[in-house]
Parts: sequence; structure tokens; C-alpha cells
Amino acid sequence: MRCASWLLVLLCAVSSRQVCASDTLTIAGTLDLRWVASNAETSYMNGGLGPLRFDADHDGLRLGRAMLAGSLRLTDLITVHGVLDAYGDDPDKPVDFSELYAEVRPFPTNAVRWSARVGAFHMPISLENRAVGWTPVYSITPSALNTWLGEEFRTIGLEGEARWLGASSGYYGDVALVAGAYGWNDPAGVLLATRGFALSDRTSTLIGSLGRTPFGFFREIDHRPGYYSGLSWRHHDTFELRALYYDNRGNPAATAADGDGAWRTYFWSYGARLEPANHWTLLAQYMDGETTIGPDSAGPDQFNMTFHAGFALASFEWGRQLLTARYDDFGTNQYSGFYGPPPADQAGHSWTLAWGYDLTEHWQLFVEGIRVTSSYPPRLSVGEPPARVDSQLQAAVRYRFRLER
Amino acid sequence: MRLRKLLNTEYGQAMLYSRLIHLGQKPARSGTATEFALGRCGFATWITLLCVCAVGLVAGSCRAAGLTVSVVDRQGHPVVDVVVTAAPIGVTGPPASLPAGAVMDQVNRAFVPGVLVVAVGARVEFPNNDSVSHQVYSFSPAKRFQLPLYKGKPHDPALFDRPGLVVLGCNIHDQMVGYIYVTDAPYFGKTDADGSLAFKDLADGEYQVTFWSPLVADSPELLTRKIHVDAGAAASTRLQLTRNLRTRPEPRMRKGDWEY
Repeated sequence: MRCASWLLVLLCAVSSRQVCASDTLTIAGTLDLRWVASNAETSYMNGGLGPLRFDADHDGLRLGRAMLAGSLRLTDLITVHGVLDAYGDDPDKPVDFSELYAEVRPFPTNAVRWSARVGAFHMPISLENRAVGWTPVYSITPSALNTWLGEEFRTIGLEGEARWLGASSGYYGDVALVAGAYGWNDPAGVLLATRGFALSDRTSTLIGSLGRTPFGFFREIDHRPGYYSGLSWRHHDTFELRALYYDNRGNPAATAADGDGAWRTYFWSYGARLEPANHWTLLAQYMDGETTIGPDSAGPDQFNMTFHAGFALASFEWGRQLLTARYDDFGTNQYSGFYGPPPADQAGHSWTLAWGYDLTEHWQLFVEGIRVTSSYPPRLSVGEPPARVDSQLQAAVRYRFRLER
Repeated sequence: MRLRKLLNTEYGQAMLYSRLIHLGQKPARSGTATEFALGRCGFATWITLLCVCAVGLVAGSCRAAGLTVSVVDRQGHPVVDVVVTAAPIGVTGPPASLPAGAVMDQVNRAFVPGVLVVAVGARVEFPNNDSVSHQVYSFSPAKRFQLPLYKGKPHDPALFDRPGLVVLGCNIHDQMVGYIYVTDAPYFGKTDADGSLAFKDLADGEYQVTFWSPLVADSPELLTRKIHVDAGAAASTRLQLTRNLRTRPEPRMRKGDWEY
């Protein structure tokens, strides 16, 4: 809690508006305090295999997140963004960047606008994490799909986008083509193989660890860059479709000096957002893919796992309130290789209900309940039955601010 | 000289008169004549003056007539915020005075008004009264411009000196779209909630009336028509659209810290 206290002091200093002396700086911050009640098995954050951020032995009053996001405009075209996070669960790296990148966005001179990002940032997949600092806006906890994206994936490289702006042609919408090239994503897949999907708003940071997971997520092992490429279509700002293919082009035979291997992970991801009436938002996302580790010469001992995850979400906003219901479905299938029997197949689904209330411009209250039903045979190794139902109730009090100077 | 020639035409006098009415003033010359008559003249002058007034009234009604336009959709419901312009056919010349300035505001991540109609030569201010900064631009042929990231009112008004449609965007919030319709027609406006717009003090003659809205999908031929405005008679025209309006739901208002 000491680091949280320091971040709180920092937030207060920024709130005093002394930092923002220039009109080129935007600072947004959130301090999120939680009260948690849980009957869940020991969380992966605490060395277990539980699929939730908190568990029966780690609930009560917790720091949800302390976040400071800054945007510094260097020129009219170039802006540098950084997101600094503290979660109060990483004594080695109490405060760390989760994103740090420069964005180049020239004024459009015709119907196609080019833009680029360079640095470390999230891929444009999630339809839930729409607020500053990749914060989910419809619930406290994002879906299993977006939880995993926030844990194991960060583009550390370059992304370019070409966006056709329809307004000049009388069409109210746009179509965008996006492509990224990156490195330092070779471990992507290890968490899925050793834990399966989870539901958590604990995003990984660039150099910090995720609870007691004994590995870092962002390192280069095989010296082969990966890529992604996606297409999105936005119609009237009420309907949006996205598709993206990701491939880290990992060499599953490559091994670092300390023994960590490179994972080859690829997936397709699809998303749709519909806002049919003024108060409703409907979201759906789906992904499926495969992750592999071990040389091809290992034959049946090469570890191969396919995975899929999807969710459907309905959210209703009225006035200062928001009510969300979400159904998640996820699973993995280890079809070769061994992490020691039994196979690490996971099958699960979950229901999430969340209610948000903006008390004032700065203060927000969020209450959320999650119930996860999942089967995961490796639980036997820690003395748990493979099939479990885990529940978690959270109440978050958030102080948020945004300053532009 | 050009202005004097223009004022010698009926169109020019009607333009001047409409401008003065618009500014809340009375034509100075008639006011001066009335004061003179009341103060110093005898009976014969009174009779003469009455006759002059009567002739003047008739002549005045010949010069100034009204035109009411209305726009309804396929189902007969009124269509609001349709730009309507009326240009006299066969009469050319510059407007009698400088066009009025206009304001295109930015509130809640939207341009306000969504559609603005101005005369050629107008200067338009782009204040940002939103809680976040905006980068306004247009690459429309009628006006290419860029306003670097700002809040408040740091930029000078922009001059719109070519007729045509100017589509506005924000380089940060792509869902923000606004329109400035720049016209060289002397009479213009937008339909009200009843779908109608009344032009007053038009000179007699033939007019080309043009309709435009980002939501109207009808062919340009249907959206342009000739209307004859007669002395003393109230002219009117009703446009019933043949195609459904384009739907454009109001963008959802985003919470302050949302990136969209």
C-alpha cells in the first residue's frame, strides 16, 4: 500500500493543476479503490490456478488501480502518450508504464487519412477497453478475451493505419486498414498454456510481472518480428465491425540463454458493436487461434494448443447510470505435447453483471458480480477438483480527473 | 459605379430595402420626406403627397414580394434544417453589403449547428466550447483549411470566399462531421421545425430555388426548381422528397474520459 500512497500524493499534486503549465499537455488519472468479496480458488495472481483476479484469501479492501495517463503534443502532428500504472501487487515494480508511444496523425488532405504509432501500445481489438489507459467502460472486469489481450500482448514496434473518411463523399462512416510490426512478444501464449483464460482487469505492465507468474511477457527470443493486420468499418458511429489477424511469427524451437522458449502464437479476432437506440450498446467479440512451443523435431512432444474465446455484452445507459450484462465463453484444447498429464484443456463460461453510477464529474461508483464455471484438469496438481464455480463481488470507488493545458 | 447601377434596378432596390429591414432600419429617404411634409406644407401639398404615397405603396408592393418554401419527406412529414437558396435568374451583381459573419461551435464532440449556410465572403468563427480539444479541418475544394489543436477561441475567423459545400471534420474525433454551405445566392436560410422557410421582400421575377441537406438523397434535378415571384401575391413552393431520408442517428454522447 506504500506505493499506492505515493501515487495518491502524485495524483493530488497533478490535481492541484500546477503541472499543466502548457496547453500541449493532457493528463488523465484514476484512483480506484475496491472492496472485494470472493469465494474463488487461489488466484493465478497469488500462485494458484484460479481464473479471477482476487480470491477467498485475498479479498476485502484492495487497490484496484492507480493510473496516470499523459499526452504531450510535440507538434501539431506528433503526440507522445504514456500510461503509468500501479496495482499494489508488484513490490519489485510498484509503478510501471503499461503504454508509451508516439502517435503521428497528419491533417487529412483527401479522403484517406494516414496515421502511425511507434512505441509500446495495445492493438486495436478490444471494443470494451475504450477509455484512457485501456480502461474497460462497461464493467470493472473485461471479458476473458480482452483480459488475455491485456496480459500477454503489447505492440512494441510500429503500426500504420489508412482510414477512408466517408463524410466528404456523403457517407457518414469510415473504413480503416491497419497493420503492425513488432518484436518482444515471443512469450505470448505461455500464460494461456499454464493457466487458461481468466477474467481480470489487472493488465500487465511493460517490465513488471503479473502477480507471481515467474516470467516476463515482453522479451525478444527468436529475433523474428511479428505482425498483425486488420480491417474495420464504422457506420454512422452506431455500428462497427472489426477483424484482425495476429501472428507473432515465433520460432518455437528458439530458446533464450535462461531457458525461456519462444512461443508461436497466431489468432483471428472479430468484433461487432451496435448502438441501436440512444441507451443501448451491444458488443460481441470472438477469437480463435493456436499457440505452439518446442521444435518440430519433437514430434508429438511439441506442445500445441488451440484456443477460442468470445463474449456477448449488452449495456444500458441512462443518465449517470449504466447497467451491463455479459456472457463469456472460452476454452483451450491441448492436442499434443505434455506439461505433465493431464492435458491443460480448459472449458468455461461466465456471467458478469455490473452497475456503474457517476456520482459527480470526478467520482464514480461501480459494483460488479462475476460467476465463472470452468473445468481445468491441472487443478488436480494443486489439490483442487477440475471443475469449479468461482464467484467474485466487487465494489469500486473511483476518483477520475482530466486536465488539458 | 457598379453599386449605383445595381441600385438603379428593381432587384438592387429590393436588396437594399431587405438589407435595411434586416438591420432593423427604415429607408432613410422616405422618413425624411414624411417629416418635411408634416412640418411645412399646405393643403395642395398634402393632396400631392397622399397621391405620391399611394403610388409609392403600389410601387413598393411591386418591388417586394414573399416566397414561402416547405420541404416534406415521402410520408409528408416536415424536414428540418434543409438549406434553401433563392437566386434571381438573369440578374447578376455583388450583394449590397458585406455578408454577415457566422459561428460554427463545437459542443459535446459535435459541430453546432450541424449545418450552417453563409454567403460567399462570410467569415466564420470556430470556437471550441467543448471539454476536450479539437483539430478542425476541411479538404473540400470550396475551402481547404486546418485549425491546430485548440480549445476556446484562439483562431481568427476563416474566410469562405468560394461557393460550394465545405465538409468539416475533427482530426481527433472522426465521428464529428459538420457542413458549411457557401452560397452566392442573395436569399438563403434553413427550414424550421415545420419544414418551412419564408423569404420576404423579394423583387419580382424568376428565381432559381435550390434545396440541400446531408440527409436528403433525392437527385439534384428534383432539388432545383424555378419559381416566379409576382407582385403582391405570396408565392410558395412545396418540395416533397421521393426518396427516404438518409438516417443519421445522433452520435452517443461519450463520457469525459472516453477516448472516442
